[in-house]
Amino acid sequence: MGLVTIAVRNIWRNKLRTVLTLSAVTVLVIFFLLLRTVIWSWTASAEQGARDRIGTRHKVSFIMQLPRRYVEEIRSVPGVKQVAHASWFGAKDPNHTDDFFSTIAVEPKEFLEVYDEIKVPKDQVEAWKQDRQGAIVGDVLAKKRGWKLGQKVVLQGTIYPGDWEFHVSGIYTADSPTVDRSTLWFQYKYLDESRAPRLQDQVGWIMARVDDPGRAAEIAKAVDKKFDDRDIQTLSMSERALQASFLGMVSAILRLIDVVSFVMVLIMGLILGNTIAMGVRERTHEYGVLRAIGFLPKHIVLFILSEGLALGMLGGLIGLAIGYPFVQKGMGPAMEENMGAFFAFFRVTPELVVASFFLASGLGLAAAIIPARTASKLEVVSALRRVG
Amino acid sequence: MSDAEKGAAKGTMISLEKVRKSFTRGREQLDVLAGLDLKIEEGSFDALMGPSGSGKSTLLNLIAGLDQPTSGKVIIGGADIGSMNEGQRAGWRASNIGFVFQTYNLMPVLTAVENVELPLLLAKLPAAERRKRAEIALRAVGLEDRAGHLPSQLSGGQEQRVTIARAIVTDPKIIVADEPTGDLDRTSADEILKLLEKLNTEFGKTIVMVTHDPAAAERAKVVHRLDKGVLAN
Repeated sequence: MGLVTIAVRNIWRNKLRTVLTLSAVTVLVIFFLLLRTVIWSWTASAEQGARDRIGTRHKVSFIMQLPRRYVEEIRSVPGVKQVAHASWFGAKDPNHTDDFFSTIAVEPKEFLEVYDEIKVPKDQVEAWKQDRQGAIVGDVLAKKRGWKLGQKVVLQGTIYPGDWEFHVSGIYTADSPTVDRSTLWFQYKYLDESRAPRLQDQVGWIMARVDDPGRAAEIAKAVDKKFDDRDIQTLSMSERALQASFLGMVSAILRLIDVVSFVMVLIMGLILGNTIAMGVRERTHEYGVLRAIGFLPKHIVLFILSEGLALGMLGGLIGLAIGYPFVQKGMGPAMEENMGAFFAFFRVTPELVVASFFLASGLGLAAAIIPARTASKLEVVSALRRVG
Repeated sequence: MSDAEKGAAKGTMISLEKVRKSFTRGREQLDVLAGLDLKIEEGSFDALMGPSGSGKSTLLNLIAGLDQPTSGKVIIGGADIGSMNEGQRAGWRASNIGFVFQTYNLMPVLTAVENVELPLLLAKLPAAERRKRAEIALRAVGLEDRAGHLPSQLSGGQEQRVTIARAIVTDPKIIVADEPTGDLDRTSADEILKLLEKLNTEFGKTIVMVTHDPAAAERAKVVHRLDKGVLAN
């Protein structure tokens, strides 16, 4: 038996209060895990973008198009190895109009060269190249929709209205967990030939692989310089920066989630502090007895800090024991399946697990500091007079 | 060497010389002890009696080293309590004083034997040795069969006996008891008083007991009556 053992036992003196406090901490830890995972998952794709890829878009806005001829001109910039273009299509499954997934038009050969983390069996690649209406879909999307190879899929265009028929030529997977496996990539030729002549030969953005990732910024500048004196100027940047600029649209939401997650931490601290302060106030007389029989103020501090730490650790452990499987096995797969475009990989990272545990423990400890200081400063005789 | 210090050398365990204790309440100064002199011999069993507000508990707090006098000297077993800082007094209390309180003041989350073991946590003893000593103390008060019981599972008399076991486990020279029978029925009170007598006669402990109960005071060898901060007898 030691002071720490007594402190831990003290946690259960008022079972109802402790259960309510632990429940509150547990719920807050779960929400903290969830919100931090939302932020991490949303930004992971940008942070894990390939270092040897640069993206080029219209200088004014990424919703404006670039002439397709720029693809070849970028290919001629020294240091550029491979180039691919992509155009946002925007379509919905008429049977599931609330479900969002990306639909993007690309040139199959160039696309798969530049995005070599996307894996498609060779025969399926060939089938895609041969079929003007062919498309490859991510395995997550295919599973969710029940789409099979060779299946005809009719989508409703949102930017280009009407029914668009596609054939599932291939189902792709990826060797990186942050790659969205819920996208439908289809032949640019199909889009371009089907739209009005004034809209033809335009692309959304151009991605280029460079031979030296260390020179990516320099090559991006060289690309932009090439189009400086044209009517349509470009803005080139690393893939990470490009994806971050897409995220710029939702940065306010991310900041809000960030703030909310830290407000939760604050609430957790206040709840723990309140519980510890109440317990300490009720037990002032006992601290007086401990002081009377020879314990020093530092022992009282240790006693109360141990109680706070134990409460925080317990809350953190219970929160993680429930929250981790909840996010990892429940919400994660559901988010990846239904919102793969935003949350390609929605899982709790080991770093977040460790951080959440230490945060809850640290808060328990911090919340006990003021009650511990107050109790340790009490005069023995005054403490003995107090009735709990 | 003062008279008090000389007294200690002659077998006086507790010596108070011109002790004053004042409290300030607002602008008013309250003299609870007004120049009190007191000597208690080693191995004595003294009772402090007096009406409420007479200064009994304040006097006991000074003897136990829980408080310091406003002026005067408090010499306990040769040690000048008034010159010690709080840390020194805490260490001194741990090895020299055993406390018995009116309301027992046991830790409700600890079993009887763990409560008795509590003061030994400061003694840097191995856990097994601590437990052994706590069990011996519990046996001395006749509660060895209640070692694993929580205070809530004990009667008032049993709780007070555990408190006494806790008071003697460090083998202190002095036991201070503040109304030790105040919350007990007559039978239990008699048992506690017998136990205190036994500690005094068989183990040679010096006992200072504050009490309102004349029957309890009768067990003491010496009775001091306080009134308005001075000894009346």
